[in-house]
Amino acid sequence: MSARPQVSVVSTSGELSSTQLPLPAVFSAPVRPDIVHSVFVRVNKNKRQAYAVAENAGHQTSAESWGTGRAVARIPRVGGGGTHRSGQAAFGNMCRGGRMFAPTKTWRKWHVKVNHNEKRYATASAIAASAVTSLVLARGHRVEQVKELPLVVANEFESVQKTREAVAVLKAIGAHKDVIKVIKSKKLRAGKGKLRGRRFTQRRGPLVVYSQDNGLVKALRNVPGVETSDVKHLGLLQLAPGAHLGRFIVWTQGAFESLDSVYGSDSTKSIKTAYTLPANIISNTDVTRLINSAEVQAAVRPAGESTQKRTHVLKKNPLKNKQVLLRLNPYAKAYSAEKLGSTKVTKSTARPSKGQFSEVLKN
Amino acid sequence: MATTLKPETLVKKSKADQKTAEERAAAKVARKAANQEKRKVIFDRAAAYQKEYTDAERSIIQAKRDAKAAGSYYVDAQEKLAFVVRIKGIMKIPPKPRKVLQLLRLTQINAGVFVRLTKATAELIKLAEPYIAYGYPSLSTIRHLIYKRGYGKINKQRIPLVDNAIIEASLGKFNILSVEDLIHEIYTVGPNFKQVNNFLWPFKLSNPNGGFRTRKFEHFIQGGDTGNREEFINALVKQMN
Repeated sequence: MSARPQVSVVSTSGELSSTQLPLPAVFSAPVRPDIVHSVFVRVNKNKRQAYAVAENAGHQTSAESWGTGRAVARIPRVGGGGTHRSGQAAFGNMCRGGRMFAPTKTWRKWHVKVNHNEKRYATASAIAASAVTSLVLARGHRVEQVKELPLVVANEFESVQKTREAVAVLKAIGAHKDVIKVIKSKKLRAGKGKLRGRRFTQRRGPLVVYSQDNGLVKALRNVPGVETSDVKHLGLLQLAPGAHLGRFIVWTQGAFESLDSVYGSDSTKSIKTAYTLPANIISNTDVTRLINSAEVQAAVRPAGESTQKRTHVLKKNPLKNKQVLLRLNPYAKAYSAEKLGSTKVTKSTARPSKGQFSEVLKN
Repeated sequence: MATTLKPETLVKKSKADQKTAEERAAAKVARKAANQEKRKVIFDRAAAYQKEYTDAERSIIQAKRDAKAAGSYYVDAQEKLAFVVRIKGIMKIPPKPRKVLQLLRLTQINAGVFVRLTKATAELIKLAEPYIAYGYPSLSTIRHLIYKRGYGKINKQRIPLVDNAIIEASLGKFNILSVEDLIHEIYTVGPNFKQVNNFLWPFKLSNPNGGFRTRKFEHFIQGGDTGNREEFINALVKQMN
C-alpha cells in the first residue's frame, strides 16, 4: 500500500516523458457501481425545471349539472346558449375541454437530497473506475491507442489558447479517436425532444481535468464531445455519464498531483472537511491467487465432482431382477441353489396310535 | 539435461491431487473389506432366519398333532401383526375415523401399513373398520411388499430401499443391517418393531387386479371388502401389489 504504482506523464507532443508520478489514493477507492447508480439517479434530477398545467385550465366555465330527469348524464354542463359549447360537459377529466386528472403542480419535489458522504463516495468510485481500461472500453471510449491509463498530460496543455493547437495535442496523445467517435455519432434524436430544442444527440468524448485554466477551457469549448472540469469540483454526472462507470479522463499533471490533496491519501489530509476515502472490504483483489495460496490449500478439503454421481435413477424390482435381489439379499443365491423354497416335508412313518396306549393304561 | 519448467501452481496442484488420489484408493480398499464382512454377516443372518421360520412353522404343526394325539387341544396364539389397507377415499369421512386413519398413516386410498395388534390398536382399527380392509399377512406377503414397494422415511423423504446401506444408515443402531433383518423384525414383531415400522413409508398399492367385490363398502363377511378378512388379506395384497 505504501509503494504506489507509478504513472508516466505524456508530453503535449505525445512522447512519454521521464517524469513519473505516484498513483493517487483515490484510484484504489472501492469501485461500487451500485452506489454510483443510486447517487447518479438522484443527482441527475437536480437540474430539472418545473412543469405544470395552468392552474385554471379546464375551470374557465360556469358549468352546472342539470341533475336527474333530463335523460342525460349528470356531469356538469356549460350553461347559456347560442353556441356549440352550451350544454357540453365540462370540468371532468373525461370531458372534452375539461381539467385533467390531478393537474400537475409546480411544487412537486423536483430535487433530491443526497447524503454528502454518499455523493463523495460515488465520485471517488467513479474516478477509481476511470483508471480501469476494461471499464473505459466497456463504456465505449476508443482508448486502444492511448499509451497508459490514467492518461496524464504535461502542464503546457493548460495554457493552450487556440482550438487548433488543443486538437493537435489530443491527436498526439491518442485521445482524438474518441473525438472522432463523437463527431460520427451525431444523429437526430428519436422522439419529441426533436421539437423541444434537443434536436441532435451524440456520444460523450474525453473529459479533460485541469488544475489551472490558462485558456484550455476556451480552446476545447468548440471541440465536439470534449468536456473540461476543474479538479476541485469533479461531478458524478461527468465522471459516470448514464451511471456507467469508466469515463475517459485526460488529466493534466497539475490536476493529477493535486488529486491527493483533494481526496486525501495515507500521507495527506483531504481539503474536503471531515473526509477520508472509503475503505475497501477486500484489500487483495487477486482472489484466484488467494485461493491457490499455500495457506488456503493446506486447510481446504479435496474438491468434489463438478456434477454429482447419479447413483440411483430407477428403482428395479428385486422380485424380477436377479442382480438387484442379490445386492439386497446375498443369501438368495444359496436359497435358490438348495431349492429351499420347494423342500418337501419328510413324512414321518410313525402312525398315530389308535388308542392302543390308553387301552393298556385302562387295563 | 534441460528440464521443462512447470508453473509452481501446477506443481503444487499435482502434488495435492496425488495425495488425495492415494487417500481415496486406501479408503476404497478399507470400504471394500468392510462391505465384504457385512455381506457375510447378512448372509449368515438370512440363513438363520430361514431356519427360524421353518422351525416355527413345523413346531406349531407338531404341537397341534401332539395335542390331537393326547386328546387335548392346541389354541393358536392370538395374531400379533396385521396389515391394514385403506379402501375408502378421502371424501365424507366423519372426524373420529378420519383422525384414526391419520394416526395409522393411511392418508391415501389403497395405502397399506403394518400394525402391531394390541388392545389399543385393535380399538383403533375397530373405529376405522368401515374404511379399511385388514388381515394377518404371511411371510410371503411381507417379503413381496417390502421388496417391490418398500420405501424408507429418511430425513422426511421417501427413499426407495435400493441398497442395504440405506437401511443400515437409519436402523443400524437397532442392529438391523439388511432387508432380510427388516422383514424378520416385521414378521416376528420384534423389540424394535415400532421403529422399523415407522421407518417404512406407507405402502402405496395399486387397485386390485381382478377388482374388488361388487359392493366394496359392506363387511367382508357380508360380501363386501371392509373389515377383518384374516388370511384372505394375502390374496388381496397379491392382487394389489
